[in-house]
Amino acid sequence: MRKRLRPLLVPALAVLSAFIVGSLFLLFTDIKHIGMLTTDPVGAFTGALGNIIDAYGALIVGAFGDPKRFSTALQSGDIHDWTIAFRPMSETLVAATPLMFTGLAIAVSFRSGVFNIGGDGQFVLGALGATVVALMFRGMPAPITLVAALAGGIVFGAVWGFIPGFLKARTGAHEVITTIMLNYVALQIVQLALRNDFLRQSTSSQPISKVLDFVRVPQLIPFLGLRLHWGFIVALLVAALVSWFLFKTTKGFELRSAGLNLTAARYAGMSAGGSIILAMVVSGALAGLGGAFQVMGSVTQMSNDVNSGYGWTAIALALLGGTRPGGVVAAALLFGALNNGGHGMQVASGVPLDLLVFIQALVIMFVAAPDLVRKIYRLRQPAIESGAPAAEGAPA
Amino acid sequence: MTASAAPANVAPVALSEGHRRAQRAARIRGVIFAALGVMGLSFASGTMSHDVTFRFWLQQQGGDAWEFHAMAGVIWIIAALITGIGGILQLWRGASVSWRRWMALAMPFWIAAIIGTLLAGKPAVLTNLFAGSLEYAFPIAMGAFAAMICERSGMLNIAIEGKFLLGACVASIAASVTGLVIVGPIVAALVGVGVGWLMTWLAIRHRVDQIIVGTVVNFGALGVTNFMYLRVLQLNTNLNTPPTVEAIKIPLLSDIPVLGPILFSGTPYLYLALVTMVVLTYMLFRTRWGLRLRASGEYPQAAGTVGVDVIKIRYRAMMLAGALAGFAGSYLSLHSAGSFQINMSAGKGFIAIAAMIFGGWNPIGAFGAALVFGFSDATQTLLSSLGVDVPPQILTSVPYLVTIVVVAGLVGRVRGPAMAGQPYEQS
Amino acid sequence: MRLELREITKQFPGVLANDRISISADRGKVLGLLGENGAGKTTLMNILSGLYRPDSGEILIDGEPRLFSDPADAITAGIGMVHQHFMLVPVFDVVESVALGAEPVTGLVHTFDRATARKRVVELSAQYGLHVDPDAKIEDLPVGVRQRVEILKALYRKSDILVLDEPSAVLTPGETEELFAIIRGLAAGGTTVIFITHKLNEVLEVADTITVLRRGRVAGTVLPDETSREELANLMVGRDVELTVTRSPAKPAGVVLELVDLNVRDDRDSMAVRGVNLEVRAGEIVAVAGVQGNGQTELVEAITGLRQVDSGSLRIGGQVVEHASPRRVSDLGVAHIPEDRSRDGLIGSMTVEENYILDSYHRDPYSNGGRLDWKVIGEKAEVGVREFDIRTPSIETHVGALSGGNQQKVIVAREFSRPVQLVIAAQPTRGLDVGSIEYIHRRIIEQRDAGAAILIVSTELDEVLALGDRVAVMFAGQIVGVLSSDQATKEAVGMLMGGVH
Repeated sequence: MRKRLRPLLVPALAVLSAFIVGSLFLLFTDIKHIGMLTTDPVGAFTGALGNIIDAYGALIVGAFGDPKRFSTALQSGDIHDWTIAFRPMSETLVAATPLMFTGLAIAVSFRSGVFNIGGDGQFVLGALGATVVALMFRGMPAPITLVAALAGGIVFGAVWGFIPGFLKARTGAHEVITTIMLNYVALQIVQLALRNDFLRQSTSSQPISKVLDFVRVPQLIPFLGLRLHWGFIVALLVAALVSWFLFKTTKGFELRSAGLNLTAARYAGMSAGGSIILAMVVSGALAGLGGAFQVMGSVTQMSNDVNSGYGWTAIALALLGGTRPGGVVAAALLFGALNNGGHGMQVASGVPLDLLVFIQALVIMFVAAPDLVRKIYRLRQPAIESGAPAAEGAPA
Repeated sequence: MTASAAPANVAPVALSEGHRRAQRAARIRGVIFAALGVMGLSFASGTMSHDVTFRFWLQQQGGDAWEFHAMAGVIWIIAALITGIGGILQLWRGASVSWRRWMALAMPFWIAAIIGTLLAGKPAVLTNLFAGSLEYAFPIAMGAFAAMICERSGMLNIAIEGKFLLGACVASIAASVTGLVIVGPIVAALVGVGVGWLMTWLAIRHRVDQIIVGTVVNFGALGVTNFMYLRVLQLNTNLNTPPTVEAIKIPLLSDIPVLGPILFSGTPYLYLALVTMVVLTYMLFRTRWGLRLRASGEYPQAAGTVGVDVIKIRYRAMMLAGALAGFAGSYLSLHSAGSFQINMSAGKGFIAIAAMIFGGWNPIGAFGAALVFGFSDATQTLLSSLGVDVPPQILTSVPYLVTIVVVAGLVGRVRGPAMAGQPYEQS
Repeated sequence: MRLELREITKQFPGVLANDRISISADRGKVLGLLGENGAGKTTLMNILSGLYRPDSGEILIDGEPRLFSDPADAITAGIGMVHQHFMLVPVFDVVESVALGAEPVTGLVHTFDRATARKRVVELSAQYGLHVDPDAKIEDLPVGVRQRVEILKALYRKSDILVLDEPSAVLTPGETEELFAIIRGLAAGGTTVIFITHKLNEVLEVADTITVLRRGRVAGTVLPDETSREELANLMVGRDVELTVTRSPAKPAGVVLELVDLNVRDDRDSMAVRGVNLEVRAGEIVAVAGVQGNGQTELVEAITGLRQVDSGSLRIGGQVVEHASPRRVSDLGVAHIPEDRSRDGLIGSMTVEENYILDSYHRDPYSNGGRLDWKVIGEKAEVGVREFDIRTPSIETHVGALSGGNQQKVIVAREFSRPVQLVIAAQPTRGLDVGSIEYIHRRIIEQRDAGAAILIVSTELDEVLALGDRVAVMFAGQIVGVLSSDQATKEAVGMLMGGVH
C-alpha cells in the first residue's frame, strides 16, 4: 500500500506547498490588518490568520457543500433542499469537465513529445464549431443536432491542432510559438464570427451568440435540477479511451515512442511527422470536444467568456497527473473543486478568485521541480524515477 | 555538427540542396510579388477618381498642417509597379535579389493606397498614426529585446507577458506610494530582475523545462496581479493613481517640420527604446559580452570548454531581460492607461516574441517588426475614429499570422539561436 | 612544459573509469595514449581539461602540482584541448571561434578587438602552416580545416601542452598525414603533445613514447622503436587482436541486395555516396570497411529508407526500393542494427518488452487489428531474453538501465525475431566487451548460414576481417575495392582504406 501511494507524495506536497505560499500571499495583502500591526499586533495577526482560515473554509464549503444543508435536506426530505445541498458538488464537477478534456488533450501531446500550448485556441474554436453546427442543424431532432454539434466541435478543434502539427512536421516550425499565435488568432476568429448575424444574439450589444437552448446536453440527475450534465460522464469515458489508446493500441505505441525518442521511432519505421500530426490532431480534437460540451452543457451561449484559461490550466493538470489519463482526471477534479470553491470563497470572504490562478501556477512550479519539493520536505531521492516521462519539449 | 564530411579534394557535383531550395523560394516569392503587382493594378483601375488627402502637423498637434494630395489610383499604380518589378527580378535573377529591400520599398505605398482607399475621400491626419505606431511599438520592441537576449543566451523565455503585467502592477503601486514617477519604472525593472532570476534558478538548478517555467510565470503573474487589483487596488485607489509619464519635446529636433511631431515629441520610453536598440546591437555583435552570449546560445559546450561560464551568462541574460521587460511593463500603467488595470498587457508579451522572430533575432529587425505591429494597431485606431467599418479582428490577427508564416519558413527562413531552450549541464 | 599525472583515480557510479593512472610527457615530445573504447582515455582527458575533478591523484606541470576546478584553470595552466567533437560555434567565423573565451578587448564596454585577434590568427596560421582563412564561417569549412581551427584555438591561448582526442577519426588519410606534419612541427617548436587514439599505426608513426590504457589502468609504457604492432595490440586488449570466430565457407545463392550507381547526399548537401555498385547474395557476408565518415553512414541510411537516394538504383529481393519508407524496407524482411544503439536503436525509458517490439509492434502476433496484445508480447519477449541471454531483472525493466552489451543483444534479438532475408549491421559491436562481441558475431553468422544476406559496416578492421566473406572498402564515398576473404589481408584492406589503390 505504501508503495502504491509513493508516487502521489510529490504531487500532494506540491499542492500543499502552493497553498502555504498562497496563504502567505493572503497575509501580505491583508491591508486592513497590516494597518493594525502597529496599534494591535496580536489582533492584527489573529485577525489576518482568521481571514485565511475563513477563506479556505469558504473554499471547501464552496467546493463540496455545507454539512448543515445536508442535515436540513435529510430532515425535510424536500427535493429542493437536496438540490441546494448537492449544488456545490455538482458545480465542482461542472467546473472539472472542461478541465478534464483539455488536461487529457495536453497529456496526449506531452506523451508524444509535442508541446501543445494551444489548448485555449482549440477549446474556443471547438465551442464555436459546435455553435455554428448547432445553429445550422436547428430544427432537426435534438439528438441529431447534439451529435452533429459535438462532431463540429471535434472537427474545429482538430483542425486547429492540425495546423501547428503539420507545420512542425513539414517545416520544423516550433509548435510552442505557432500554438501561442494560433490562440490569439482563434480569439479573433470568434470575435469576427460573433459579428455575423447568423450567430449573433441580436438583442445583445455584447458579442454573444444566440441561446443554444435547443441542443442542451442532458442533465445527469434531472430530478434534482442540477447543472451537472452528461459531458462529465463522457469526459470520464474519454479518459478511459485515451488511456486505452495510448497503452493498448499500435498508434498509441507510436506516439509514446516518438515522444521519448524520435530518432529511434524513425529508425523503427514509424513516421515521425505522422506521429506529430496525429498527436496534435487528437489533442486538438479533445480540447475541441471540451469546448463543445462547455457551450452546450455548462453555459448556453457562445462568447469569448466560454473559455477561462482552460488550455493553460491543462498544462498544470497534465504535469500534476503525470501525463497519465487517470492522474489527469484526478487533477482536474481537484482543480475543478478549487475553481468552484473559489467562487464560494470570493462571495463569502471577499478573497478574489484569482488567488487560485496564482496557486495553480505554484502547483505547476512545484510539480515540475520535484527535487525542490523533496529538498523542502527532506525526502529521499527515489532510486529510479518511476513511470511517466517528464513533459519534455519536443526537439525544436 | 555533422560527423560525416565530403572529402575536400572533390568538387561538388551539382547544385547543393540548400541552393536549390533558395531558388525555389525565390520563384515562389517572385510569383507572389508579381501577383500582388497585378492585383494592385486592378485596384488602381477602380480608384483612379478617389481623392486621397493625408495631412501632417507641421509643428504641433492642431497647428498648421502640410497636406499631401493624390489620387488613390496613382498610389496603387506606384505600389503595384514596385512590387511587380521586384517580383519579375526575382523570377529572372533568382535568390540573389534582396527581396526584403523591395518589400520595404513597396510597403509604404501599399499602406498609403490601402488606407487611402478605405478612407474613401475623407481627409485624415497621419501624424497621429505614425506617432501612435511608435507608441504602440514601444512595449513590443522592448519585450522583443528582452526575449532576444534570453534566446541568444540559450534560454527560451515565453514569460514576457507575465513580466509586463507584474511590471505594470508594481510600477503603478510604487509610483503611487512614493508620488515619484521615476520610482515606478525602477521598481518594475527590479521586480523583473527577480522574476528573471527565479526563472533561471528553476530552469538550471531544478531542471524545469524552460517552457514550463515561462508558463508558470505568465500564469502566476496573471493570478497575482488580478488578485492585487481586486483585493488591494480596487479598495485602496490611492495605491493605483500614479503620476504619469508625460511626453517630452526634444528641443530643436521637435521643431523639424512634419518629423518633429512624429519622432521627437514622444515619451521618454520611446527615446529609451531607440537607445536600447542601438546599444543592444552594438553589445550583441561588437563586444566580448555579445560574443560569449551568442556562443552560449549556439553551442554552449564550445563556450564551456574554453572557460566561459555559460550558466552565469544565462543567469545574467535572464535578469537583464527581466529588467527590460519589467520596465516595459511600467509603460502600460504609467503612460497608456494612467493606472493599473486587469490583464492590461493583453497579449503584447506574445506579440513581442513574434516581433523578435519576425525581426530575425536582431535588435534593429525586431524594432522594425514592432513598428509594423504597432502600425497595424494605430491604423485600427485611426480607421475606427474616422468611422470606417473594417472588422478590427483582421488587422489584429496580422502579427500572429505573420509570425506563423515566418517560423514555418514559408518565405525565406530566419534562423534563431541553435540551442535556445536546451538545457546545458556544466560539470 | 613537462606534464605529469600521478595516480589519477576517478570513480563513476558503477565504473572505475581511471584507476591510479600515471603518465608523463616531456617538453617537445609527443605522448601517444593508446586504448580501446572504454579504456578511460576520455575520462582522463576530461580531468586534464578541468571538466572533471579526480577523486585522488595529482596533476603536475613542470613538477608543480596544479588543481583544476574548471576549464579556465586548465587553459591558464597552458593546456589546450582538441576535442573529438569539435567545440566550434557553427555560425561564428574563424577569428571569433578562435578568440572566444580569450578575446582581446578595448574600451569601457569591452569591445571585441577583432583586428588584433585576426592579426594573431593570421600569424599563427602562417607560422604553423595551418592554412586557415580567418574570415570563413565555421559551418562552411570542411572537417579537416575545422580541426586546424581547433588547434589554432589552443595555440592562440599559448598552450604549451596540446591534447588531441582521436583526431584522425573524422579525417581522410591525406588530412591525417597533414595533421601529423603539424603535430611534428608543434613538437619541434617545444609544444608537448598528447595524442589520444585507438589506432596502432598512428601512435607508432607519430609518438615519441606510448602509454597504453586498458580498463582504466595503465597497461604499459613503451617506446615506438622497441615495440611492435603485436605487442601494442596485446597491451591494448589483453589478448591477441585476431578475433577467432569459426565459420564455414559461404555458400552464396541469389542476389538479395543490389546497388547500381547509387548516389546519396549527406546532411550538408554534399555527395557522400558516389556511384556505388554492390551486390550482396543470400548466404554471404559482405563487410564494408572504411575510416569513419567516408559515406558508410549515408549508405546504410539510404538502404534502410532513412535517407533520400539522389540517383541510382537500389533493389532488395528484386523489389525497387529507392524511394521506400523505412517501414516498407523493414517489411521486406530487412533487419537493421543501427550505428548508435542508444540514440537510434532503443528507447531508453521504455521497457525491454516495449523495445523488443519497437519495429514489429504492428505485425502479427503483437498487433490484433491495431490493438496490442500485451500477453503475447510478454511471452515472445521472454523467449527473446532467454534465447539471446539478455541479462535483465525482468522484461519490464527500462532498457536504459542495462549494460551496453545487453542493450545490443535486445536489438539483435528484436531484429532476428522475425524472418529476414537481409541484415544490415552498422558497427554492431562498437564499445562492447569481448564476450558480447563474439556472441553477436556468432549470431550474425547463424543468420548467414540460415540463408540471409548480410551487410556489415564497420570501422574496425578486425571485425571486417573476422566476418567478411567478401570485403568492400569505402573511401571518399566510393567502393574502391572488393576483396574475397582470402585476398583480404590486413595490409590489403588497410591500404584501400587509406585511399591507396
